Amino acid sequence: MKKHKVIFQPSGRRGEIAEGKTLLEAAQSLGVDIEGLCGKKKVCGKCKVRIEEGYFEKDNIDSGMSHLSPVTEDELKHIKPEDGPGIRLACTAEISGDVKVFVPERSRAGKQVVRKAAKELSIPLDPAVRKYNIVLNQPTLHDMTTGDYERILTFLEEDYGLKGLSFDYTALKDLQDVLRRGKWNISVTVWMDREIIKVEPGFVENCYGLAVDVGTTTVVGYLSDLTTGRVVNTESMMNPQVPYGEDVMSRITYAMSNPEGLEIMQKAIIDGLNQIIRNVVSEIKDDGPDPGHAIDDLTIVFNTAMHHIFLGLNPEYIGRSPFIPAVQDSLNVKSRDIGIRINPAAYVHVLPIEAGFVGADNVGVLIAEEPYNQDEMVLIIDIGTNGELLLGNRNKIYSTSCATGPAFEGAQIKFGMRAAPGAIERVQIDPATKDPLYKVIGKADWHTHLEKVNAKGICGSGIIEVVAEMFKAEIIDKTGRFAKDVRTSRVRKDTEGKPEYVLAWAEETSIGTDITVTQGDVRALQLAKGALYAGAKLMMEKLGITKLDKVLLAGAFGSHISREASLTLGMFPDCSIKNVCAVGNSAGDGARMTLLNKSKRIEADERARWVEFLEIATEPAFEKQFMQAMHFPHMKDSFPNLKSMLAESSSGKEIKG
Amino acid sequence: MTGEDRKQEILEALKNAVVQYDEDAAKEAAQKALDLDINVNDAIFNGLVSGMEEVGRLFEAQEYFVPELLMCADALYAGLDLLKPHAETMDLGVKGSVVIGTVEGDVHDIGKNIVKMMFDVAGFTVYDLGRDVPLDKFVEEQLRTDSDLVCLSAMMTTTMVGMQKVIDRLKEKNPDVKIMIGGAPVSKELADKWGADGYADDANNALKDAINMISSLKKMKEDAEAKKSS
Repeated sequence: MKKHKVIFQPSGRRGEIAEGKTLLEAAQSLGVDIEGLCGKKKVCGKCKVRIEEGYFEKDNIDSGMSHLSPVTEDELKHIKPEDGPGIRLACTAEISGDVKVFVPERSRAGKQVVRKAAKELSIPLDPAVRKYNIVLNQPTLHDMTTGDYERILTFLEEDYGLKGLSFDYTALKDLQDVLRRGKWNISVTVWMDREIIKVEPGFVENCYGLAVDVGTTTVVGYLSDLTTGRVVNTESMMNPQVPYGEDVMSRITYAMSNPEGLEIMQKAIIDGLNQIIRNVVSEIKDDGPDPGHAIDDLTIVFNTAMHHIFLGLNPEYIGRSPFIPAVQDSLNVKSRDIGIRINPAAYVHVLPIEAGFVGADNVGVLIAEEPYNQDEMVLIIDIGTNGELLLGNRNKIYSTSCATGPAFEGAQIKFGMRAAPGAIERVQIDPATKDPLYKVIGKADWHTHLEKVNAKGICGSGIIEVVAEMFKAEIIDKTGRFAKDVRTSRVRKDTEGKPEYVLAWAEETSIGTDITVTQGDVRALQLAKGALYAGAKLMMEKLGITKLDKVLLAGAFGSHISREASLTLGMFPDCSIKNVCAVGNSAGDGARMTLLNKSKRIEADERARWVEFLEIATEPAFEKQFMQAMHFPHMKDSFPNLKSMLAESSSGKEIKG
Repeated sequence: MTGEDRKQEILEALKNAVVQYDEDAAKEAAQKALDLDINVNDAIFNGLVSGMEEVGRLFEAQEYFVPELLMCADALYAGLDLLKPHAETMDLGVKGSVVIGTVEGDVHDIGKNIVKMMFDVAGFTVYDLGRDVPLDKFVEEQLRTDSDLVCLSAMMTTTMVGMQKVIDRLKEKNPDVKIMIGGAPVSKELADKWGADGYADDANNALKDAINMISSLKKMKEDAEAKKSS
């Protein structure tokens, strides 16, 4: 039977599906969850998916509506104009050619678990945006030579010491009406003690700002109360650019090879951000045509590619050596100029970037963790779709970017998936029996092999842990090779004759097949962790140091991986486990800090230029370092701290060196 | 022990030294081969290169990975450095010359270096243009050296697209030249679409292809020798 290539986004699951199967059947066989409440009766309309049109270089797929059966009457009843173009019901559309299918958030049965929760920050409150109450006397004929604008300026100078303010044009247009409606008692919103960006009648105290972290995979917005510093609401979503490429490079390629590619992706992220804004303000305001206007300030961090695409700057030149960005410094862009639907006079503050491949998100990490105020040598690893490293102390800090590939996010892993219900996230393996215990996202307890837990795959933190456990249980050796003499039915040969470890038997899963960890999976992880380790090692050599005082794991993923497992695998050079800390979404924390304290913006500008970027791929020692770092935990380096940690846990595993 | 047995033993030692990535053993065996006046080309091809073929098999089976592969290469070079000065120039009836490089905008070259090594070992003349190579440089170098094969490598999707231009320009100037492309984002479909003659999506495939070429080269050498002696 004829088969066609089908790719589901944003999960990235793909496979060859027989002609005539519906998209829903394809999704089920590939382990993609699509809502199907009515059981394929074509009545609920919950299984809407979008068909991507065009040719996608990275996937080498030519996708389009014409590769499916014609749209039926039943479908037309459910598809509305606001759904946008390319929408089909997955239960009805039959495959007749290659298709790339985007499953919108609302159609996903298992929603992604947001792992970018905000933590408490302790920082003096001095936001860039403040509200000032102004009470004027009702003007009389004596005042007729002074305009409303000038009277406001005089008041601000006399009562608040703010001199020489300018007035945003759109705010100025509201002024006369607001003054009179407020009976000469108004509140003005001032940006950076420089510009009036809003006028409101009466005494208004509440002031809100939004800190945004645009990741390659996830976008998150933290709505902050600028008068208390507290996070009022957090909203996140899958980055809507995912259909145009799962990683940074394929998105840059999409912009290069499609004439409107850049515009399409810019619109996608801006629409997405506006969606976040609409959702996030529901906590504070739910009336009026533009509830987002309640937000008067926005700070944003992202990697360089996301930065360029967001600003509509051509990302082509950061995608190739020598990786030159269009602009490094921070920017203040009027929200209305790029279509962000907050107060139209407000500014979007874009944090500076460090170098072609170390973006504003890393500057966020830098100013949130402030390694430049410490004596200890601290290594900060921000692991997302790319891995960025910072290493140093108050004297000197290096930064670099490592091509870790998407293995840490569960991609390129046979049963890899994103962190969503059904993903195996924690694993323990009994060294004697080689049997695992595991924990699935969405279930409170560890799996005991007594019940069906509907496991679907393994997420990034699960991969790290299972491979570390396989190493400790001597299922794999330090070169990553499967041991030959392991006596358990869980280690077997796959259809290509390559070894694999069965983590979950088919009956424990919801996908009807065994979930395994293959030799190829271990290899993908070795490449990723080797790149991180080699990057850290080269920076240590530059600094002339031989040991680390502290390791901080940042990023959504960094907060969820087991510290022990990451040390066991040698994702970074040896360090005392008590000094290995998960610090959460530091990039987002940095964005929030610049929202709450304007001096942090100056600090960001200065430190972004102060940090020295190290291009590791061209370092002569890189190849050798990378090679040695691929072993668990390392081919040559000693791991005294790891050794004592394993001795204490009495796992029986001995690390040489 | 007969001379032939002794020879087999040393060839086996050379092979094992490579497979077990033991540089010292490789040097020792190579020295023995020289001392015993074993045909140097035999020592290289039926000793060291046979070992590398076994390494390739292990790599393909995923038993060996990049670190092991590179260490095997070190052992191979350790032996080769001793043997090569004594090797006869081989007339294989083919030009055996290859231009290789990582394309413009890309600075990743580990995969390219592995492939290059294999050609080196096989006795090809290798013109290594390094990394971040301007697209036209490939065309110029091919014309200058009249090489039979051009190998293009790219690690990034963004730079991979430059390969198509090189292929077009090369084929335009010289329709007979063979082109092999490689690197993480490259696929067989893309190679076909762009008109490349071979592809390698990772070091695994690159090595396999390179070894296929070496194997066929060895066969040619054997045939040539068979002809000579008959």
